[in-house]
Amino acid sequence: MKKRCITSALLLCFVALGCSQNGIRPMSRVGASLRRSAESRRLPSMGQRWLASLASRNGRERVELIDLSNDTPVPLNGINQADSQTISLSVSGDGQRIALVRQREERTELMLYRRNASALQRLPINPPGVPRSVSLNGNGRLLAVQVSRRGRWDVDLIRLP
Amino acid sequence: MPQRLLLVLLALGMVACEGRSTRAPSGLLSPQQQDPALSGNGRLLAVIEDQNGRPTVQLRNVEGGGSLRLRHLSRHQPHSSPSLSWNGRYLAVITQRGNQRLVLIEDRLSGKAHPLRLPSGRDPVQVSLAPDARKLAIQTADQGRWRVEVIDLSRLLEPDGPGGKRSTTPSEPNR
Repeated sequence: MKKRCITSALLLCFVALGCSQNGIRPMSRVGASLRRSAESRRLPSMGQRWLASLASRNGRERVELIDLSNDTPVPLNGINQADSQTISLSVSGDGQRIALVRQREERTELMLYRRNASALQRLPINPPGVPRSVSLNGNGRLLAVQVSRRGRWDVDLIRLP
Repeated sequence: MPQRLLLVLLALGMVACEGRSTRAPSGLLSPQQQDPALSGNGRLLAVIEDQNGRPTVQLRNVEGGGSLRLRHLSRHQPHSSPSLSWNGRYLAVITQRGNQRLVLIEDRLSGKAHPLRLPSGRDPVQVSLAPDARKLAIQTADQGRWRVEVIDLSRLLEPDGPGGKRSTTPSEPNR
């Protein structure tokens, strides 16, 4: 009996060590919820308590924002359009803004979505170039975007009102 | 007359909504920059630049453009998918060790490096660090599908939220 207890304790230790390797732990509840809610998921972007990503269901990809405090998606009315394909996205730290690069009708566009207005707005790139990858700061007032211009990659910074 | 005023106001509103654009700071030879990542406070920018043909993460001040030293990230290229915490104390990036892609988080305040092997054992494709550095989201591939895993870093890293410790220290020289 005592031997069995020791073996069980050792096994438990191994499991605990395995799960918290280097002090990191998978967030199992969040992980299970993410797996359940989409066939595949990519382009993760973390806010303070938000996770934005591109979730695929029935072969269609949609931008999704999950409130990690309760593992629930929040509505993003107007951000997903049937004829567009998102290639990069970034959520502000406060979860209020999402910047994205999308391809639509053979054009690549830089877009900004404001949750408080449920509004998706195209942001111009000056001088003109093709956007590829975006990053928003914590309050969503500064945006960095990788732009292809004259055969090279630049990064533009855009201050937003 | 009121219609003209309305048009002027509308035009001004559109200009105000578009924002002001500037080129990000870069080095003297102005190498190509990819994969931008801003810190939460917007003061720092991490980018991937070619250094002798090797994609390498670089950290710059948004204002002034000075380059900041990264103690652990001059090797293990190619680097990809940089991500910064709120004050830029932590920089997470995907590196290469042998045949394995590995997430490495550099703590710029303590000078420590935290290499992370994912609990799932899968290779990271893209990472995103929460602004307070309590969580990390990682894109991986699993049986032909993209997955996103979220890991809790609160036992590994101190939080780096707004009003937290500044990451820029006097001992951190510009290059």
